[in-house]
Amino acid sequence: MESKVLKPILAVYVGFFILFLYGPFIVLGILSFQQGPEGGPQFPIIEWSTYWYRHLFGLTPPSRIAPLPVGEALVRSLTLAFMTMVTATILGVMAAQAFRKRFRGAGVVFYLIVLGMMVPGVLTGLGTSLLANNVIGIERHWWSTAFLAHVVYTFPFAFLVMLAILNRFDGSVEEASWSLGVSPITTFRKVTFPLIFPGVLSAMLFAFTLSFDEFPRTLFASGRDQTLPLAIYGTFSVEIHPNIFAFGVMTTLFSFALLAVYGILMGLSVRRAKKMAMQEDIA
Amino acid sequence: MTQSDPIFRLEGVTRRYGNLTALEGIDFVAEDNSYIALLGPSGSGKTSLLRVIAGFETPDEGRIWFQGRDITDVPAHERGIGFVFQNFALFPHLTVFENIAFGLRNGATKVSDAEITDRVRESIDMVGLSGLEDRNPDQISGGQKQRVALARTLVMQPKLVLLDEPLGALDANLRERMQMELRAIRERLDVTFLHVTGSETEALAMGDRVAVLDAGRIVQYGTPDAIYDSPSISDVALFLNRFNLFEGTLKNGIFEGAFGAVPVASARTNETDVYAIRYDRTQIFDTDSSYLPGPALPVRYLASEYLGSSIIFLFETADHKTVEVDHHLSLGEPRDLIVGKNYILSWDPAQAIVFGKEITR
Repeated sequence: MESKVLKPILAVYVGFFILFLYGPFIVLGILSFQQGPEGGPQFPIIEWSTYWYRHLFGLTPPSRIAPLPVGEALVRSLTLAFMTMVTATILGVMAAQAFRKRFRGAGVVFYLIVLGMMVPGVLTGLGTSLLANNVIGIERHWWSTAFLAHVVYTFPFAFLVMLAILNRFDGSVEEASWSLGVSPITTFRKVTFPLIFPGVLSAMLFAFTLSFDEFPRTLFASGRDQTLPLAIYGTFSVEIHPNIFAFGVMTTLFSFALLAVYGILMGLSVRRAKKMAMQEDIA
Repeated sequence: MTQSDPIFRLEGVTRRYGNLTALEGIDFVAEDNSYIALLGPSGSGKTSLLRVIAGFETPDEGRIWFQGRDITDVPAHERGIGFVFQNFALFPHLTVFENIAFGLRNGATKVSDAEITDRVRESIDMVGLSGLEDRNPDQISGGQKQRVALARTLVMQPKLVLLDEPLGALDANLRERMQMELRAIRERLDVTFLHVTGSETEALAMGDRVAVLDAGRIVQYGTPDAIYDSPSISDVALFLNRFNLFEGTLKNGIFEGAFGAVPVASARTNETDVYAIRYDRTQIFDTDSSYLPGPALPVRYLASEYLGSSIIFLFETADHKTVEVDHHLSLGEPRDLIVGKNYILSWDPAQAIVFGKEITR
């Protein structure tokens, strides 16, 4: 009875919600196929074309619109995101592993770690920059100061993901391994790690994506060479052309590809996790 | 090593968790090449004891000796003591074969692939798992998992295997079959099994010797017969689930309880005065019966339970305490009892076991 009225209303509501969520992206996607180089970043579409995509890769004849200065920034951002991902995930796994045993000051350490994602980004960025420039006296670079700021920011995410995973982890398989004469290090490699791998994957995804489009911390901490979000922001201040939209579509597709890889790897290891869960059910 | 040399020895082992004392100064000597059942109610510390011996936990006090060596500070993976978990704890990402080969493959000493294959095959044959080598743990039954867990441990050729309620997760039929198999497998290998269980029938059926653990202490250690026939304290008698226990007072060689005053020939030291008589040594009489072998306990008949080889009759005393009588059918047909009618229970006082604060000789 009730659901007959409620359901369509909720369906419409959800429809609008999704439209609101993806509206900007859809508009961006449409405008990226604007005609060029005369067409601007607004409706109507003069003529459908892939001009701005070709422009992005420098395949168009020279015009008054300069190519987007994102090539180097993109490489920088990808490298930085990768470095951050690896570091934050390793730290996250290690820290979460440490928290499996209660130790003195565990509560304080927990909040200190989580602080990294709570503190406003601008403050962290500014602080890092001041610390580097005025206190220690070193130059700021995307691979040094900004990298540190990114790790401080993404490490708590990786840590929390791993904490949740290890909370549900049944330690008896590790004890079984020890009792078979296998050292704790080998046990971690051969038993623990394969079983927590889905969690590690999630932590990696978190760290990578958070670092890849990080703005406020990087703004102050990165120094002369800009990362991708900074480079894109820089182009806004001049004049906006649909080539930015085309680039936006490309990066979104890249994100989807990343998610697809994540999905495939996850699918493979979830099968493993299911086996684990079944074994626990019996116990 | 001769039969009587101890395989392991515990000296005043104490383990606390905060304010809770799980193990309280346990002294224990285990014979080599034997099957030891460790019996205790839940919360008695039996799993803690096993974990301390295995090296998963460190005792707060006391030393642990294994094969003449102090292993108190040796980490679990260097002890060479096997452990079989109640939930099996198989490696879910490895096949049955790889589960069993795990210790050989990843241990400190290098073992050649050919030898690994040989030894794994041998133990697969021993526990009867042939044909399942390539299955994953989620594709085999509970009993088969138990066998994999056992094979995985035994392939390392340990001298001591700790089994933590290994049959707890199995159904009744399988449990009985595994009981026999465990005993048979142990006898074939030169190894000591320390089998923790909360089931008194399992402990008495399986152990060459049984240790009874209560509130973090070993209260009795002996052969199943000895424990069954003469529990050292009333808690053991209670836990064996074979005795009617009556509270009362023991004074000057006389025990006064619900069944009247009975002279007592001997009593064992205990914290309270308790009179114990086995279910199968308690007999049923009519209220007007002229001859009774001993004390007379007036009761009301409640119900009976047919167990195949015997019948359990349940009675209630005046103060609503349930009393059981176990009538073995080989002793003849049981008598017909009328529910709600009053009867007299009696027994030969010589077969009673009396525990008391006061010791009588």
